[in-house]
Order: sequence, then C-alpha cells, then structure tokens
Amino acid sequence: MHSIDYDEIHDEIVVPQQFAQAILTFRGSADGDEPPVRVIQGSKTQLKRPDRIHVDPVHNEIFVPSSGSVLVFAREAHGNVAPIRILGGPDTQLGGGAVTVDPINNLLIIAGSAGQRGGEEGNQLLIFDRTAQGNTKPLRVIRGPNTMLTNTKNVRVYPPGGWILVAEDGVEGRATGLSFIGVWSIHDDGDVPPRWTIGGPKGSLFKPRGVALDPENRAVIVSDKRLNAVLTYHVPELF
Amino acid sequence: MKNSQFHFPLWSRRGSLIAIVAMVCALAVWMIQARGAELSESGSALGTALRKPAGFPQLIAVEPLPMIDGQMCQLVPASGGTTLLASLQQQGLSSTSSREARTSTKLGRSPMGLIGQDPYSTFGSIAVDPVRGEIVVGGAHNAMLLVYDRLANTSPTATMTEPKRLIIGHQAKIDRNCGLYIDPKNGDIYSTSLDIQDLLVVHPHGASGDAVPVRELRTPPRNVSLTADEERQEIFMTVQQPPAVVVFRKMAQGTEAPLRILEGQRTLLVDPHGVAVDSKNNLLYVGNNTSFADAKGKLARDTFLVSGDPNPRWNVPHRGDGSADTVPGSGRFELPSITVYPLQAKGDTPPLRVIKGPKTGFKWIARIDIDVEHQELYVANDADHSILVFRASDSGDVAPLRVLKGPNTGLRYPTDVFVDTKNNEIVVANAGNHSATVYSRTAEGDTAPLRTIRSAPEGTLAPMLVGPGALTYDSKRDEILVPN
Repeated sequence: MHSIDYDEIHDEIVVPQQFAQAILTFRGSADGDEPPVRVIQGSKTQLKRPDRIHVDPVHNEIFVPSSGSVLVFAREAHGNVAPIRILGGPDTQLGGGAVTVDPINNLLIIAGSAGQRGGEEGNQLLIFDRTAQGNTKPLRVIRGPNTMLTNTKNVRVYPPGGWILVAEDGVEGRATGLSFIGVWSIHDDGDVPPRWTIGGPKGSLFKPRGVALDPENRAVIVSDKRLNAVLTYHVPELF
Repeated sequence: MKNSQFHFPLWSRRGSLIAIVAMVCALAVWMIQARGAELSESGSALGTALRKPAGFPQLIAVEPLPMIDGQMCQLVPASGGTTLLASLQQQGLSSTSSREARTSTKLGRSPMGLIGQDPYSTFGSIAVDPVRGEIVVGGAHNAMLLVYDRLANTSPTATMTEPKRLIIGHQAKIDRNCGLYIDPKNGDIYSTSLDIQDLLVVHPHGASGDAVPVRELRTPPRNVSLTADEERQEIFMTVQQPPAVVVFRKMAQGTEAPLRILEGQRTLLVDPHGVAVDSKNNLLYVGNNTSFADAKGKLARDTFLVSGDPNPRWNVPHRGDGSADTVPGSGRFELPSITVYPLQAKGDTPPLRVIKGPKTGFKWIARIDIDVEHQELYVANDADHSILVFRASDSGDVAPLRVLKGPNTGLRYPTDVFVDTKNNEIVVANAGNHSATVYSRTAEGDTAPLRTIRSAPEGTLAPMLVGPGALTYDSKRDEILVPN
C-alpha cells in the first residue's frame, strides 16, 4: 500500500485499495478486523489501480491520481459513484504521481512522472488551482535538472508556510544515496532546486516513501523502504 | 445725483444682482451634476453621492485592494477543527520568488527519532529439511536466510538461538525473501524475493555467508509463494497481479520461459498467496485472498516469447508493461478461498473444487501446505493467529477439521506453515514475534509448541514493517499510521 491519509477534522483514515480498485475510509480509532465505514468502488468510479490518495477535510473531497488524470470524489461518497470532478488532458501535463491539496491557498499539487512529453525525462511538481478540472494547464510547473526530481514517491504540503515536501527516491530500484525530502515553495516555478533538502542527498535516507508533518513538534516524519523504518526529523525552519 | 455714468434704479440693481447670482448658481448646479454623472460612471464616492436614489440596493463603490507582497491573512474555514485551526497561525508565506537563481540548503541533521528498524531477524517463510535435520527461515524484513538445527529450542531465559548458518550478502541475492523451498534430495534452497528483485535464486545445501547462487531465474513481479513437484521436476510460484500460477522447469535459469501459466477469469484466482502440490493425486492447491479486478493484461502473451532461440525464453513481464492492467471500475472484494486444479492445469482453467465461505474461518491466507499421506491441508491463517487444517477433499463452505489457536500456542501472525511428515510435526513461522514454533502434526486448540526457535528475547513483538510505502500522522492520538 503506497498511500494513507488521516482526516483530522472528521477523525477518519483513508486508504486506496489497489487490487480491488477501491477507496476505503475507516474510523480514526479503527482496530483489528474492523470494516471500513465507507467504500468507493464500482464501474462509475473510473478507479483503475488507485495507488495514492489525499483527503481535503476542509472542502470534503478525496483526490485520486489515475493514469494521467486526477479523480475527485466527495469525501462522504459511498458505493458506486462517479467522480465529482476530473482533471485530465494533454494540457495538464499529468503523468503518474502522488497528490496533495492545500485547502488554504486552494492549490492542488501533483508530484510524479513527466508523462509522455517528447523525450523529457525526470519527475515534476505540477501546481493547479484546487478546483481545476478538464484539460486545464497548471498554474506552475517545477521541473528540470536543477530540481533533482527523478523518482518522486509522495508529496505533502504545509499550507501556513506554503511549503511543498516531496519524497525523492533517486534511481528506481536502487538505493543510490541520492534520496532526500525536498522542500519547495508553492510559489516556485520552473527549473529550481529545492529550498531545503532533508535526510540527503547522501544522508540518512535511502529509499524514502511516505512523508508526514507534525507541526506541533515541528517535525517531518518519513518512512524509508530500504531502512524498513520510520524516521522523524526536527525541522523548525518549516514551521 | 452725483456724477455717475450708470445709474440704475435701486430696485433694478437688486433685481439684477439676484438674477446674476441665480444664474451663477444654476450654472454651478449644472456643472456639478454633469461632473457627478461622469464621476458616477467611474464609481467614485462623490459620484455615488450624487446618484439619484433608486429605492433598492445598488453597488455604490468599488475600490481595488492594494497589491500585497508576502504577508496575507490566512482564511480560516468555518468547518476547521480546533487542531487544524490551531496550526493555521499567521505565518509568513514562503517567498513569491520563483525563478531566481538559488542553491539548495541541505539540512544535514540526523533524525531525532527512528521507529521500526528491527534489530532482530523476523520469520516470514519457513521450510524443513528433514533429511539433514535443518530448518531454514526467511523473511520479507530480512536480507538473509537463517539455518537452524531442526531440534533447536530456545530456552525461555535465553535471548535467542544462534543459527547454524546465515546466507547473507550482496552476492547471495537474498533480499526480502518471500517464497522458500528445499529440495528434499540434495538440500538445495530455493528463495524468491518480494517486490524488489523479481528473482529466484538457488543455493546449495551448506551455503553460508555471501555465497554466490548456483542458479538464478528471472521471475514475474509480485510473486509470493513457491513449491515444487519433485516427480515432474517443476517449480510452482503464485503471482498476485495478474492473479496467476506460473510453472517452470525446476532447473530453469536466466530468462527461460515457463512451461505453463494458469491465469484468467475462470480460474477464480484472487490475489493468490499459498500454493501446494499433491504429486501423487495430480492436484494443485492455491490459497486466495480478497481483492480482485478483471484482468486486462496477462502474463502469457505471445509477444513475450523470444523467437528464434533454441531454448524457450521469454521477455520476462515487468512492472509497467501492461501485464497487470485491470479493467477500470471492475474491482470487488471476494471471500478468501482455496481453489483446487488438475496439476497440469494451464490457461483459463476453472477449479475442480473451491473451499470458501464463513465457516472456513479464513481471515488472511498467507501460505498453505499439504500432507499428501494423510490428505490434509494446512493453512497459515495470518490475521487470525491460527493454523487451520482441512481435508484435502473438502469443498464449499466447510469448517476446518482442526484449529490450532490460543495464547499458549505462541502463534502471532503466522505467515508460513510446513508439514514435516517424516517427523510428524508442523513448523510455523510467526511474523509477529520473531519465532518459529513446532507442534505435533495433529495439534489443535490452545496447545503449546513442542519447541520454539527465537531470534529475540521472549515476548519481543516485531514492528512488522515491510518496506513502508507511506505514512500519515494522527494528530489527535499523536500516532503515526503506516500501511504495509
């Protein structure tokens, strides 16, 4: 499972279920063999192999990247329901990726592959208006060799500071020491390096995957697949 | 009268003055009204003040806000909870700069906390070599295989039992072992890896340290379990997605193509995990779990075969090649099951029998094994902390013949079970507590193990992280949630 999100307003946990093409929502205190309180699944959902999700608890929406598009569902959707919004099309420049939403600055941010764009390599950050749909161009694109984005895995945003945090894995399949958590501003654009890097390159991270924020303790929490561990970094600069 | 050129009568002078003033006032009013109309068009306050009352609300002014650079009040949503609101404090927004040249600052600090990196070996897969008296253990958390004496039994006060040998190292290519099989004739150890290498490696009995495998076979991704038909010299492995059982020559290596592949909608394979072979009765048993979607891709594609090569080779399926593609919106959940096929089944062959239903007690079928002599099927029932035993001939919604479960058993997330028919025992790998537990073959209920092999102090629970692909923070409970 490559994604999980906690909705702190409604005290719920949301996960994608890849093989069964479903989005599952559990109570925040769920334990043991407890069924989800809601399941989004079925022919109308257009879910293919949901691998990443993000919950916007402020606007009550769930975002699911899906093969060059982003499907948006109502947070309380249940059963065989269609997305309320779909962002997709060649102008979006969407490839695969992870998604996060800044409900304060009203932005939708996708980190992932650059899709099919005439030989361009590497990964990217695409920044859209939160309610963008259809074949809409991004507001800003962070992409290029200076970004050091080659294999992004997950993304988070810290709205009060306007910071985007990206788990950058380096080279797929190998722990090369080029991994890090990169921090960009929501206002960044173009081929710009991260403002800060955490845990690398050539640091304590080998294959970062998940990234989460604990603002109260001014901490960035990272899961590392190679280390098989969860690491917590104190990063007061961000908070 | 004095000498005045112009003399007006008193009444006419006053009147003229009044007239002149009136004219000036009228002119002024006209000018103001004209300007007011103009101002009203531009929306100014003055123009607005001069607008005639309409008897209903009107837009009376528009004043553009001054440009703001940086500092801005944060919108606080009405639906925001206290924690979210508390975190949404007035903060300086990150700079609006975007394209100016800059360098990255590396915050080269060590983590202040680390969770989950298990200092002890975890036990995920297990196999017994009854001829040489050894137990081999692998695990998705380990980059090694551990070899123990079959009769090892860690005393309660001991920290752990030292393995006889470790197979570990870059050359050994043991990386997050998932499937494990031991050749009963020569003791060769077969090991497949979960989710990283897509490789089956074979080490001879006695291999130790960073030994080079004697054979390597490229496998499809997402393979889980492994077993063999010694009579026909074939290796069977399950693949999660697309759901399949892939059969190779036992001595296959490199990119040798499989002999056959069992896959398709009619097979009723669903995220297959366990696999067991009854060579005597020519039957194949597969343990299935719950998540399923209609396959659009498949492993057995003609385009995979490499033409013109005298040896049957294939372009081994890999991630992203479409072989695991599914039909969007076709996903569903099924009950766990055991499906039974003819041993030589291939293609889209339906099962002969299906063991499935609430009476079975299946929670999460990790792996299965078969006692051919007694015709009994053993199931490592992971999420239920139990071992279930069925008749090999069972079908439908049936209760198990025996259930091994309870606090005295030492079972904790059992992920593999091996039936040692030579010694009349079953051996279980417990992913939850760093142990392998050995029982009498017919043990049931809350029965303590005959022997326990531990890699950690007694009672040490395993963090059970398996390559954590994501995480989130629960601010309400101050907990970190990590899916596996």
